Amino acid sequence: MPAETAHRRAPGSRRTVAATPAPGGQRRSRLEFALGRHPAGLLLAAPYALFVAAVFVYPIGLGVWMSFHDSFFTAPGVSVPQPFVGLDNYKAVLANPAIRASFVHVAEFLVINVPLTLVFSLLLATALNSVVHWRGFMRVSYYVPYVTASVATITVWMFMFNSSGIVNQILGPLAPDPAWLVNRFWAMPSIALYVTWKQLGFFILLFLAALQNVPKELHEAAAMDGASRWQGYRAVTLPAVRPATTLVVLLAIITGANLFTEPYLLTGGGGPNGASTTPVFLLYQQGIQQGKPAIASAIGVLLVIGVLIITYASRKLTERE
Amino acid sequence: MSDLQSTPRWRRIVSMTLLTLGALVFLFPFYYMVVGALQTKRNPSLSGAIPWPSNLTLNNFLDINHAINLGRSLLNSGIFTGVVVICTIFFGVLAGYALATLHFRGRGLLFAVVLLLQAVPFQLLMVPLYVMLVRNFRMGDTYVGMILPFAINSVAVLIFRQFFLQVPQEMFDAARIDGAGEFRILRSIAVPLVRPAILTAALVTFIGPWNEFLWPFLITKKQSMQPLAVAVANYTQTGAGFHANPMGSILAGSTVLAIPAVVLFIIFQRQFAETHSSTGVKG
Amino acid sequence: MKRSLIILIATLATASLLAACGGGSSSSQTSDKQTAKGPITIWYSNNPNEVKWGKQVVATWNAAHPNEKVTAQEIPAGSSSEEVIGAAITAGNTADLIYNTSPVGVPQFQKQGGLVDLSTFPDGTKYIESRTGPAAAQYASADGDYYQLPWKSNPVMVFYNKAIMRKAGIDPNNPPLATYDEFLATARTIVKSKAAKYAIYPSPSSEFYQSWFDFYPLYAAESGGKQLVENGASTFADKDGTTVAELWRTIYAEKLAGNEPYTGDAFLDGTAGMALAGPWAIASYGKMDWGVAPVPTSAGMTPKETYTFADSKNIGMYSSCKNQGTAWAFLKFSTSPKEDGALLQTTGQMPLRVDLTKAYPAYFAKNPAYSMFAEQASRTVEVPNVSNPVEVWQTFRDAWTGAVIFGKGDITSALKDAAAAIDKLVSQK
Repeated sequence: MPAETAHRRAPGSRRTVAATPAPGGQRRSRLEFALGRHPAGLLLAAPYALFVAAVFVYPIGLGVWMSFHDSFFTAPGVSVPQPFVGLDNYKAVLANPAIRASFVHVAEFLVINVPLTLVFSLLLATALNSVVHWRGFMRVSYYVPYVTASVATITVWMFMFNSSGIVNQILGPLAPDPAWLVNRFWAMPSIALYVTWKQLGFFILLFLAALQNVPKELHEAAAMDGASRWQGYRAVTLPAVRPATTLVVLLAIITGANLFTEPYLLTGGGGPNGASTTPVFLLYQQGIQQGKPAIASAIGVLLVIGVLIITYASRKLTERE
Repeated sequence: MSDLQSTPRWRRIVSMTLLTLGALVFLFPFYYMVVGALQTKRNPSLSGAIPWPSNLTLNNFLDINHAINLGRSLLNSGIFTGVVVICTIFFGVLAGYALATLHFRGRGLLFAVVLLLQAVPFQLLMVPLYVMLVRNFRMGDTYVGMILPFAINSVAVLIFRQFFLQVPQEMFDAARIDGAGEFRILRSIAVPLVRPAILTAALVTFIGPWNEFLWPFLITKKQSMQPLAVAVANYTQTGAGFHANPMGSILAGSTVLAIPAVVLFIIFQRQFAETHSSTGVKG
Repeated sequence: MKRSLIILIATLATASLLAACGGGSSSSQTSDKQTAKGPITIWYSNNPNEVKWGKQVVATWNAAHPNEKVTAQEIPAGSSSEEVIGAAITAGNTADLIYNTSPVGVPQFQKQGGLVDLSTFPDGTKYIESRTGPAAAQYASADGDYYQLPWKSNPVMVFYNKAIMRKAGIDPNNPPLATYDEFLATARTIVKSKAAKYAIYPSPSSEFYQSWFDFYPLYAAESGGKQLVENGASTFADKDGTTVAELWRTIYAEKLAGNEPYTGDAFLDGTAGMALAGPWAIASYGKMDWGVAPVPTSAGMTPKETYTFADSKNIGMYSSCKNQGTAWAFLKFSTSPKEDGALLQTTGQMPLRVDLTKAYPAYFAKNPAYSMFAEQASRTVEVPNVSNPVEVWQTFRDAWTGAVIFGKGDITSALKDAAAAIDKLVSQK
């Protein structure tokens, strides 16, 4: 998303500057200095800003605070000392092999999910973009998983992917044993496949929007220059969807890093034998189930830092020529 | 689109066939869910994918309705989702407009925060939020407590901002020179311009709370306050054991949960797709 | 953008400081509370028969005490009731009494300051110990006080489906299940004869409490009544624990038990021929013709010596309770001989009372199947009352799924590692 901003923001602000009539002089009123050129903006954005402060900034702050203290949730009116413990919680998190493994699982997930998502959403969006008949039906088919609740679709997947499920019956002797969701090797790939299927509709949507904004003339010009279909695609379409690509990669990474419902419901609590745990699942397990909010917060903070680093790197990567 | 003229016929047929196959693969789990919901007896074999008339029943729906009171849960889901969508549209348009076209102090900060929030897992906020809302504000088992953390969808704010950025700024500036206040500009120029975006944002926003399970699950202790997604998930995990065809009744619950979202999407999909093509979210 | 980032970090830092100052109002507990009377709320489990019992008790009480009305509700559903109660304590919106307080949650709830020390009632300890007898000691906390009233147990035993036994060619009235060899042979016959797809099907998923229904009953029996942790040290990394784990590993390796989560009840729908469960499950078995046997031991102990897991559900009074006088009175009322009898009658679960069979002779004469559970109820093992109980069980469960269910690595070292980790958890405060 930051990439998108940078991309969109530059022309936008340039336009504004150009269009604004030059003010009488260099002097700005003190009020304008304090509140900005359009103080009304403060008023319009205030409800949202308040919401963000109350629902996000304050809890994050509290979370960060907890991660540096020996925090513990007590009943109202009961006070237990919660001393500052420095980096102890972080040390405990990093020293815990189960938590370390969960970060590896997410990496594994991202390595499968992000390329799959990128390739399939772009391919399908390109194909859907050129479809003449049954447009509506086609699109709806690909959007359906995206709009359906995970709670609902996960049950069906469990039904389909268990050892006597329909998938294994089709595969016959090729079916893995133990079955997909309880197989150490296949559990994480199965989740990655499920999430790809579930989220693809949304990403197709983003690419479709970008594709429809590619001017026809560009394609025609390329065709006149005698470019082959693939050359045309590479020269015209790919650059045009590059910003969308950046966005898709970022969103896919963020969704992947926040994976929770799938290990919680699909693989019955990060099973088999913790082969599909994720940081957010352990955050939940430690914070809510085991009453260790300090450790949970430390996991959360580390995860956010990790996501920021990865998204930054991926942005550098996808934006590079 | 311009490819159409230059693409050979066979190529289009191949691409169409692949798309259709893909669509069927995508739709299959959904279809399988509905079939499973209608089966008298669970049939995991290949033939179970076909709705044999002899094995069809509506009992699973009665079963789950008996266990979790579908009507009440649907109502809760409706209230939860409805208020979130309305708040998001109202406050989101204001914020999106301000972020896109107005220069005010703190704009950069607000925008940076909004972007950063996308990377924060909700589970990190969950515990502090829970303590704050339930303990300090006594909002357990209330709609307000359920709605508050979702009240304004940040993605929708970003969508609105994007739309307003694509409107030529000269239009707003001209109105300002004419002496129109920001609220008037918003009401008579900006909002009519982004009407298509409102539908997009409403649909995108709808999906979140309708399908959300973890937060309402934490905040509601009374079954009569639980939205459908929570009720179905709980039933899946605990109550199903006592029923004749547990899988069938779970799938029946899933079907009831899935259908409103899917129907809404089918109804609005044409407009939705076109919104995106005209002004839509551009990378 | 860079400046925004700095401001952003500054804001977050401020927010965390502000957060630090919030919260923490204090109200001192007065003993006035203990005599206060007035309306109270209770939660009970969502088991249909228990709901029936609960409604009856509440109605009787309310008729006699119009000014001390009890409002009852099913406990909010969740993946585990410990989670629901723990969150509710933090929020301060628990019910006054919860009739589904699992002993595993008690140390945690106590640490949170969420439970009322029942021993502080003048007749508290006396009432609990005279009702439950010496078995009550297992439920006392580290400071020797009772923060829970031991209420009822569900001694885990082996249920078997007689129709499936018959189909497999095994004597349905007396299937050989006493020793591990017999148990394995019976299990193999069930699967080989295709009488059922699996011999037994305990949930293989990773929730911390699942080991109570595969490992723990057999370990209680094999070790002659040892808890998972005793005197601050794990007990299970010994010969008994290894023997139990080897048995289950064989069961999973030979596919006599399923290794993926099952939707529904595999025993109920005939997918499995046997099940490890307590008497609460009987109500759901309906018309099935079932039999019951003590859990197996490697050498085949006599039923009279065999221990098992108690799976008790107790009653806790929560510190959000204002009218503790009424709550304590209702607590005693609902665990009186008469109401315990009604509980037995309606739910088939065993009140944690001394000499159960002698107290309700008519019932056990009429329901001989239940007398086996009543017999067993006097030899049960509960989860240990230690710090970090949920994490302790989660640690055990993680080791179990790996080494036993999926047969990875060496059992002895897996148990040793888990024991070391658990010893560390238990020693923390």
